[in-house]
Amino acid sequence: MKKTVDALGKVCPVPVIKAEQAAKELGGAGEVEVFVDNKTAVENLKKLAAQKGFEASSENMATGIYRVSLAVSEEAYQKLQQGEEEVAACEVAGAGEKKTVVVISSDRMGEGNDELGKVLIKGFIFAISEQEKLPDTMLFYNGGAKLTCNGSDSLEDIRSLEAAGVNVMTCGTCLNHYGLTEELAVGTVTNMYVIAETMTGADLIVKP
Amino acid sequence: MEKDRKWLIVTFDSTTDAMRMEKEAKAAGLPGRIIPLPTQISAGCGLSWRADPDDKERLESFMKERGIDHSRLVIIDAPLRRR
Repeated sequence: MKKTVDALGKVCPVPVIKAEQAAKELGGAGEVEVFVDNKTAVENLKKLAAQKGFEASSENMATGIYRVSLAVSEEAYQKLQQGEEEVAACEVAGAGEKKTVVVISSDRMGEGNDELGKVLIKGFIFAISEQEKLPDTMLFYNGGAKLTCNGSDSLEDIRSLEAAGVNVMTCGTCLNHYGLTEELAVGTVTNMYVIAETMTGADLIVKP
Repeated sequence: MEKDRKWLIVTFDSTTDAMRMEKEAKAAGLPGRIIPLPTQISAGCGLSWRADPDDKERLESFMKERGIDHSRLVIIDAPLRRR
């Protein structure tokens, strides 16, 4: 059996409660498909799935419309029937998890002495890689774009950051301007729209 | 993020010395890199040279030969900052 929940325009905990209710009414193994309009709801539905033993998958149907599919096994369904009422997992967007973006806009840190500035920015990136809490994203633009390219002394550190899950993005216009398009050695190329979106969506922007 | 291991840290009295070390060691192809002074060490300026402890003698003689002033050579455990 399959049930569809339209939770567009609803904020947490409504989508989670509706989805759980729908799963309880499946009458056995089946699928609950939930439509929501925000990423937080998607994440919260995935948390519900992890908690209840459903298989979750999600897809972005169109701008602002996400479809989350919850596959409910017979076992998970039976558990739901026996389970006591639990408060639905609900997290406000980003609560407890600040989205941190590090912006590297130059190949030197601070003003005064350029040679010192180059040493400092290398030290800064190294120190970022040593932090317990790593940033979500690192953006490199203008002179900063040189740091993600071949010949940069920071490549090793930026690669280890990327391997640890940090999203490393470099401005394509900048690579082009410096003739470095073929030299990018770590992360992906991005554009100004993504840069603007990443920065406006950040809780914390760190700019040395 | 650093795995458990030991590092040789060369400290300097001035950033000028540290930057000179970087320039000359890189040009000479010597092992190691410049990093901010690990917080376990409280000496000298805020920059230091980090290398494998096995390269200690090689680096020492290089600095002596070139007349690069340094403050101390310390062997410390990674990670390089205070928890």
